[in-house]
Amino acid sequence: MKGMLKGMGVTLKALTAPKVTTSYPDTPYMMPERYRGIQHFIPELCIVCNQCARICPTECITLTGKPNPDPEKKGKVIDTFDLNFEICILCDLCTEVCPTEAIVMTGNFELAAYSRDELYKDREWLTDNNTRVREDNNNIGAPQKGGAK
Amino acid sequence: MGAIRTEELLLNVGPQHPSTHGVFRIIVKLDGEIITEATPVMGYLHRGTEKLAENLNFTQIIPYTDRMDYVSAMTNNYVLCHAVEKMMGLEVPERAEFLRLIVMEMQRVASHLVWWGTYLLDIGAMSPFLFAFRDRETIVQLFNELSGARLTYNYMRVGGVKWDAPPGWLDKVREFIPYMEKKIEEYDRLVSGNEIFLSRIQGIGRYDAETAIRYGLSGANLRCTGVQWDLRRSEPYSLYDRFEFDVPVGKNGDCFDRYLLRLEEIRQSLRILRQALEQMPEGGETMGKVPRAIRPPAGESYVAIESPRGEIGCHIVSKGKAEPYRLKFRRPSFVNLQILPKLLVGETMTNLITILGGIDIVVGEVDA
Amino acid sequence: MDWLSASPVTWYDALFVFLWGVVLMLVVLGFVTYAIYFERKVIGWMQFRRGPNRVGPFGLLQTVADILKLLIKEDTIPRKADRLLFVLAPVLAFIPSFAVLAVIPYTQKLYFADLNVGLLYYVALSGISTLAIVLGGWASNNKYALLGGMRSAAQMISYEVPLVISVTGVVLMSGTLNLRGIVDAQSGGWFWDWNFLPQIIGFAVFVIAAISELNRTPFDLPEAESELVAGYHVEYSGFRFAFFMLTEYVYVYAIAGLATTLFLGGWHAPAPFLDFIPGIIWFALKFAFIVFFLFWLRATLPRIRIDQLMGLGWKLLLPLSLANIFLTALFYELFQR
Repeated sequence: MKGMLKGMGVTLKALTAPKVTTSYPDTPYMMPERYRGIQHFIPELCIVCNQCARICPTECITLTGKPNPDPEKKGKVIDTFDLNFEICILCDLCTEVCPTEAIVMTGNFELAAYSRDELYKDREWLTDNNTRVREDNNNIGAPQKGGAK
Repeated sequence: MGAIRTEELLLNVGPQHPSTHGVFRIIVKLDGEIITEATPVMGYLHRGTEKLAENLNFTQIIPYTDRMDYVSAMTNNYVLCHAVEKMMGLEVPERAEFLRLIVMEMQRVASHLVWWGTYLLDIGAMSPFLFAFRDRETIVQLFNELSGARLTYNYMRVGGVKWDAPPGWLDKVREFIPYMEKKIEEYDRLVSGNEIFLSRIQGIGRYDAETAIRYGLSGANLRCTGVQWDLRRSEPYSLYDRFEFDVPVGKNGDCFDRYLLRLEEIRQSLRILRQALEQMPEGGETMGKVPRAIRPPAGESYVAIESPRGEIGCHIVSKGKAEPYRLKFRRPSFVNLQILPKLLVGETMTNLITILGGIDIVVGEVDA
Repeated sequence: MDWLSASPVTWYDALFVFLWGVVLMLVVLGFVTYAIYFERKVIGWMQFRRGPNRVGPFGLLQTVADILKLLIKEDTIPRKADRLLFVLAPVLAFIPSFAVLAVIPYTQKLYFADLNVGLLYYVALSGISTLAIVLGGWASNNKYALLGGMRSAAQMISYEVPLVISVTGVVLMSGTLNLRGIVDAQSGGWFWDWNFLPQIIGFAVFVIAAISELNRTPFDLPEAESELVAGYHVEYSGFRFAFFMLTEYVYVYAIAGLATTLFLGGWHAPAPFLDFIPGIIWFALKFAFIVFFLFWLRATLPRIRIDQLMGLGWKLLLPLSLANIFLTALFYELFQR
């Protein structure tokens, strides 16, 4: 009986304790600086090195490049860049290996959609996803050889 | 009346059942409310982590380990990284090792909190669940600040950790320790003395040390029988030999002992955390010297550490490539679950939930 | 309501009775709506949450929205279910729960039926609901529902006995089964004249048995969520489910009313100088306290096990309530003659 009464005392005290619920959809939930949200893509920086597609554990990145339209310059520029959020696990490895920080994380995380098709994000969508972009990406450079191709 | 025929009731508990902690299924034969036979069925959450790993390099496997025991992702990260480091003979910088240890102990606290809350929910008390999740939220939020995710941290790397602690983070952990110690006392007041709760779990799901060892149990499931076996103490890895902490053991081997042990382990984890924060070096590298391509030399290695659920092991068979030839995880939830059919026979439907909850399984880890 | 027996019943009288019934129904529905709201709020606060706050100001319309949703939901009957019993069960559960409210007196003047055997009537009718729960569990053709229904039968029959015997002490003290008479017998002016102090054993047994009769935590075994998913109403949805819920909360109303009447002095003020506050307010306050107490228990306690429940009922509550009758009788025999 004593134990029960003690427990009831705890719940009674909690009745007036400060509440921890946040009013999430009304006020946006601010994730901390390092949060790994939906990627932001900067086409100008991309050198089409394919490292992000190679390191991705779920193979959700597909990209194609084209020759640089400026004949003076060598190398390729990005043509298409698609990210499949049906299988992306936001593991941070693509931003970690990117040598030019062309793909970076943001603090946005709302991905709910009515159709699966909407989860295929293309280059334009990812470029426009430019709010709350993560500043420090700490690309320590993961090993690149081997793994899923 | 002699003409009335009785037969056993075949009941499917799960895979969609509120108390099987996910998609675990048990087929029970009931005589009234007494279980005469129980057959666990697992595999509903099987994602083939071990098979997938054979086509991934070691850095890519780390996010997959997050998803095995998703309540305790940090220890899973660690066991893989530690196994690879051991095979390759890599040095981990001291600060990185301290950070790993701190997050692992915080993870143990968080994991036991989830267990505590859901166990009480299984037994029918609603509030403890929210009490536990309120305090777990603090830890999750700290991990979010550290690694950028709330559940699947992908924080450790072979040879170090991804991030150093952000400014002020360690102070927040320091503040968390006394806060949590106070909360544990509140939990004790709320539940531990409750007569209904005690009568529900005392003497339930009992087994002795010999049985526990024969079934290969580990963690609190083994220690509740009085066997003092904690890998942090018995085969120290990481920096655990530098800290003072107790390995609590029970003596009855019932659900109540497991309950007390887990609460005590939270206290011990906080004790380790406090010492770790004191001894932690001020600065330093968080990433050791790692070759560009992680290729463990051909051979095999097995590394085991103490996860909140017991001994989690990682067995790597390498042929000298970037991908493992074979990767095998010894998942404590899976091994601990094996004793379940034996414990259930002769118990009631209600005790099924009490015993299953007491074993503390995470279905993601059982099915991997 | 003496006019009823004084003259032959006319259509006018029948209409009058019917309208009063409708008024009571509305009051009860209002109570149920806001009891659910209040329960969710209180339990929310006890768990560091805010409780419902989205629909209407302070979430006041949340239950209304929930009920509306249940009413417009597709009505499903499992193919292998016993259709007739399946449909009958929720109705059979609700009718007695509403019928028992007739005997509860709110104040000296405000009451619906002044039965001489009011208490007996209550106990007799409330037993029928058990039948409905067993029927519902059986008719669903679901194993969880069946287990829930069986538990419910065992539980309610075992606890009906101590419940009735525990109030016998009160009947002995008051010398009547009429609920108004029982309240009148407690009119000493002070709160120690109420039955709960002299009948403290009876009161304790009554509270425990009553919570068990209500199938509420810690005795919510028939619908034990973590074991039996939802127990006897696993297969019910839409308005049939709403009826089971309604029954549960109407019984909360009934038990709270009964406890107030039997043990907490009904409409009497706790002290003579507080008499200026109308009796209905006192009744409402005591009533609200009991309802709050039930919610408070639900927020704190874990669920008891079925064998312990049976043990508690037969081995502890029954002997205690019998001893209570014996002690009460002995006391009256020795001192009050």
